[in-house]
Amino acid sequence: MMAASVTRRAVAGPPILWVAALLLALAAALLPGFFSPDNLANVARQSAVLALLAIGQTFVVVAGLMDLSVGMLATLVLVLAADLMDGRAEATLAAVGLAVALGAGIGALTGVLNNALRINSLILTLGMLTILQGVTFIYTDQSLGAPSPAITWLANGELFGLPPSFLLVLVATGLAHVALHHTRFGVHLAAVGGAVQSARQAGIAVDHVVLVAFVISGLSAGLAGLLLLGRLGTGYPNAGVGLELDAIVAVVLGGTALAGGRGSVVASVAAAVVLGMVSNMLNLLEVSSFLQMVIKGGVVIVVILIGQIRPEVAR
Amino acid sequence: MALLETEGLSKSFAGVPVLSGVDFAAEAGEVHALVGANGAGKSTFLNIVSGSLAPSAGVIRLAGAAVRFATPQQAHRAGVSIVHQEFSLAPLLDVATNVFLGREPRTRLGLVDRARMRHDAAALLDTHGFRLDPDAPVAGLSVAEQQLVEIARALSFEAQVLILDEPTAALSPPEQQRLFAVIERLKAVGVAILYVSHRLDEVFRIADRVTVLRNGIRVATRRVADLDHAGLVSLMLGEAAAAAAPPPRATPGSVRLAATYRAGEATSSIVVRAGEIVGLAGFVGAGRTHLARALAGRARSNEIEMTIDGKAVDRRSAGAALRHGVVYVTEDRKRDGLFVPLGVLANTTAGALDRVSRFGLLQAGREQKLGGDMLARLRLAAPSLAAPVNHLSGGNQQKAVFARALLAEPRVLICDEPTRGVDVGAKAQIHDLLVELAGRGLAVLVVSSEFAELLAVADRILVMRDRAVVAAFARGTVDEPTLFRAASGDPAVLAAARPGLPP
Repeated sequence: MMAASVTRRAVAGPPILWVAALLLALAAALLPGFFSPDNLANVARQSAVLALLAIGQTFVVVAGLMDLSVGMLATLVLVLAADLMDGRAEATLAAVGLAVALGAGIGALTGVLNNALRINSLILTLGMLTILQGVTFIYTDQSLGAPSPAITWLANGELFGLPPSFLLVLVATGLAHVALHHTRFGVHLAAVGGAVQSARQAGIAVDHVVLVAFVISGLSAGLAGLLLLGRLGTGYPNAGVGLELDAIVAVVLGGTALAGGRGSVVASVAAAVVLGMVSNMLNLLEVSSFLQMVIKGGVVIVVILIGQIRPEVAR
Repeated sequence: MALLETEGLSKSFAGVPVLSGVDFAAEAGEVHALVGANGAGKSTFLNIVSGSLAPSAGVIRLAGAAVRFATPQQAHRAGVSIVHQEFSLAPLLDVATNVFLGREPRTRLGLVDRARMRHDAAALLDTHGFRLDPDAPVAGLSVAEQQLVEIARALSFEAQVLILDEPTAALSPPEQQRLFAVIERLKAVGVAILYVSHRLDEVFRIADRVTVLRNGIRVATRRVADLDHAGLVSLMLGEAAAAAAPPPRATPGSVRLAATYRAGEATSSIVVRAGEIVGLAGFVGAGRTHLARALAGRARSNEIEMTIDGKAVDRRSAGAALRHGVVYVTEDRKRDGLFVPLGVLANTTAGALDRVSRFGLLQAGREQKLGGDMLARLRLAAPSLAAPVNHLSGGNQQKAVFARALLAEPRVLICDEPTRGVDVGAKAQIHDLLVELAGRGLAVLVVSSEFAELLAVADRILVMRDRAVVAAFARGTVDEPTLFRAASGDPAVLAAARPGLPP
């Protein structure tokens, strides 16, 4: 009951769902190939990386902060894991461990710096982004290594007829949803994002909550890096450029307030999938990738505009 | 035995004593008012007993046992809760979550037990007769309802001592009455209520005893029944500073501002003459601020037609109103009155930069002369002209707002709650200023929730209700109970006071 009341607006509200419906209708009319099982599986695979990043980013944004470091963090993980595995099956576990440790570790570092330095998180994580990019390029300035077969399968394969990456996203979404809406941490995170002074007054350990949010964001970036490696097949040091912005776009399209205080993981993931659908449809329509960027930008602005108009109409 | 007791409580900041040896005692089931002018040490005292500040010396006892609160949470848990003027709620979370924020009940799995939280909140709200939906997001509640959430939160800690800091400042009179009823009920179940307010009439209305602080020293603790208003004010201010009889007024001149205001079915006309102070009375929601802002071109409104000295004001914008000499002093100086990080001088001259510039460049000397003279005239006390305006007391902040308004050379001055959050001394100075300005030919419109304020300064009082002027009274023909009845819609009073009073 209560959970519904807190999240109702975030889940039912975002115009992203209308956009999704509209897109599906368009696809049905124009692109018969869109609904083929193969293509739908493709959409799911294409969206998985962004969906993972969007899940992590949702936690940070609900706290009223932002994490721009995730795109390059995913890239660093991708390059290191590619070099480590170099196609060898037995190195899979080590690579997963690396992704988790590096992701959570860098996330924790960002969180600690955020709490200690009290710099605007946008600027702090922009700095982290640049540092991580530098480290990546110091390590290698060209593609190297390859994913193990298991990672390739995770990103491109099939399990019970479904893409494994999609199942991974579903599990992550479920866990994240519970964490955000049904744990003290989640409630406290929303309180911190809504009114940090009030949260302090209530005895909430604000720094601790923020640190955990950054760790979750880093962790999701680490896993996204592995998945992206599986998609690309090689450790390409420019792989994740711009992903952090896509992740924030997905979170905002999902109706999470950039000012913090409330949000929904489910809606963020839905938005990531819709972004994937748009790409897929434009690909099927053979629209050039540069024109696709223009169209995506336009969609983002229009959806945000609708989201801003709606509450006032309702009032 | 007293429930909450302090002995020799002292606090110094950087060697400057702000609280010196305060002995205080509040009994269970007592409403104990704490009053004093700004700077008397009330805030420091409250912060110490509620755990936000550590005392430099002295003891706090709760039910006879010495206690020491390192944090507000410790005070809460011990049963001492404070409801500040500014609430500490998480706006996007619901009522139940806010009540239990930081102490959410959990299921065996470690997840937040929302069903129990909701149930407990509903039971708590019900016990105390608070009509609130535990599922409602706090951001959608009125200020009065948010205050109830704060109180419910305090009560959820089994508060024995409830401290209310200026609780009625943002409430309409009916909401105030409901709050007083809540206080009576809490008192009946043995809660000690420490009541802090600038509004002395409330102190007389609900307090059993009153403790007066002055310059960090406890001057007196008295039974309220043994005091009258004038006596209490003189205890607060020290030397004889009780309110003098309002000075006689010059006869108002020609019509300066004439406006017709249409809202729904109702049409109201507002006339303010040169040299006249017109008061606008009414409860929250009556539309006073909307009307005042519309007159000042601040509300997007095609509901209003107005002339200044017979000339129609066509364009509705703050800039157009300013060019006609209509200057507005906001009710919420932090929101649209002050430039908060800037210094006092910059705040004062911000609207008159043309007058202190040459060839587009600011002349620091001229700015200091123009602004400094105005600040001196208003007797604004600041450590320096560059001192950040938000470091000043409420009264001095309000003087800075007035200083900028006066530098705009107004012909019509519209003041919305000109003495909100201002101490007694500064309040009297602002009242004197308004009278002085009217004496020099300004047309002044004063919006106030305090009927006593309007009775003290206004030549005429218009009463608003449901966005229309429903009654008008000339100076000396009305008292506070009558204004209250008019504003709350008593037909007998309204019939006798039609607003078409000859201007």
